[in-house]
Amino acid sequence: MRGKVAVIGVGMIKFGELFDKSLETMVQEAYLNCLNNVDKGIDPKEIKAAWFGQWSGGFIGQGAQSGQSLASFIGNRDIPVTRLENGCPTGGDTFRHACLGVASGLYDVVLALGAEKMRDKPSAESLGGAGSGGGAETGSHPAWMMGQGGPAIQALHATRQMYELGYTMEDFARVAVKNHHNGTFCPYAHYQFEVTIERVLGSYVVCWPLHLFDCCPQTDGAAAAIVCRADLAKKYTDKPVYVLGSNVGTDHSQLWDRNSLVEQLSSVKAARGAFEMAGIKPKDVDFGELHDCFTNTELMNIEDVGFARKGEAARMLKDGEFDMHGRLPINPSGGLKSHGHPIAATGLGQIFEVVTQLREEADKRQVKLKKGIGVQHNVGGPAFGVSVFNILSRSQ
Amino acid sequence: MTQPAPASPVYWRFNPEVFRLIGIKCNDCGHISYPRTKICHECGSLNLEEYKLAKKGTVHTYCVNWAPPPNFEPPITPVIVDLESGGRYQGLMTETATPEDVKVNSKVEMVLRKLTTDRGLNVYGYKFRLVEED
Repeated sequence: MRGKVAVIGVGMIKFGELFDKSLETMVQEAYLNCLNNVDKGIDPKEIKAAWFGQWSGGFIGQGAQSGQSLASFIGNRDIPVTRLENGCPTGGDTFRHACLGVASGLYDVVLALGAEKMRDKPSAESLGGAGSGGGAETGSHPAWMMGQGGPAIQALHATRQMYELGYTMEDFARVAVKNHHNGTFCPYAHYQFEVTIERVLGSYVVCWPLHLFDCCPQTDGAAAAIVCRADLAKKYTDKPVYVLGSNVGTDHSQLWDRNSLVEQLSSVKAARGAFEMAGIKPKDVDFGELHDCFTNTELMNIEDVGFARKGEAARMLKDGEFDMHGRLPINPSGGLKSHGHPIAATGLGQIFEVVTQLREEADKRQVKLKKGIGVQHNVGGPAFGVSVFNILSRSQ
Repeated sequence: MTQPAPASPVYWRFNPEVFRLIGIKCNDCGHISYPRTKICHECGSLNLEEYKLAKKGTVHTYCVNWAPPPNFEPPITPVIVDLESGGRYQGLMTETATPEDVKVNSKVEMVLRKLTTDRGLNVYGYKFRLVEED
């Protein structure tokens, strides 16, 4: 697939508590923003297939959507549309499947769109719904009936990071400080305010050792990308962004089957495969949008995808290496910490950011490009056993 | 009030799995998995035998959940325990004076307790309590 697929347009809406917007409204706005982002213009009828990222389906009350929902919402019912769900990597994997559609030779131009409505239910119910998506109702192990779910799963990792790697709650809080700062420059972020280490550590304990500001919010959102055959890209845009590598990594579905809780092998495998496909190394990357659903998770991700040795991410963060103008900016958009995590939209929102940065259109949050390569990463699902990693580049 | 159901579907799976603690051990790679499975999660082997888990072990990791799902009074303390038999078991602590009593490497043992309710019926299973150090 390397170099065969190009992104010609990206679009998203401001993430947040969008009580005034239905799922359909969010989808249509992201779609129209995406069409408008194709600078030389595109006839919507040129889109020959689409993938619709939708994670929660019935869990959080937005109904079990299928492909026809997207086809109908965008008024294009003459194309195949597939709904895709793959845990928290749903958005990034929806993008990957659109790329596979083009790389297969079957379609010239396709759409990837992810949307999630999470705020129509109150926080506890929304979180509970997300937890049940992780397997609470399977009854195959009593653990799932006892309050597993995102915060508890990541808190169990965080305790182990503190024990094995010597990380502290202050180290975790620094991730929130950095990402909230970056988020103040991003007009699409749900939260656009600074936090301090003191404010993070002084906020409610959600699941010790994680505080409220260690967790990303539950959020509504939608985001999209149009990809096409690389040799056709210049017809649509002067600034195509090419897909160099794309991969999904998997690992155990239950925490107790996993050996280490300070690394997520799904991320390790996703990144390794994508770098192999791209023929580049982590040091060739200018910046990354990595899945910071919780602050401790970002530190783990930085290590797992190959940007730091295990146990070194906290120190490098403290030294400013991952700041917007540091050696390797991580989450210049503000990440999930600032944007929230409308699950299927999250990965495509990150793709939006990577493409915007590579086109040098990111305004006040623009990072310095050297090789013109950026990456997008999600990890999640029960026990965080599934991960997606996409590598994008200005040059083919 | 919730009308009790005639039976809870989870009872069907709970008897061998939860009460007798029967998991599997892989004869090829040695991986211990719980609950029972027909294919080794670690290596894909079908060469498995039933394996009874020990009730004692040490805390591998824990957290203190102040935002548990409905039916649970916060805080609850989920733990993952390295069992003396090998293998790990995830559950909740019980009978701790404060969550701060639990640490990585704390010695714990399983005790049968009510876990939750399903359609008005009590669901029982193992929780962990701290054991006195020798």
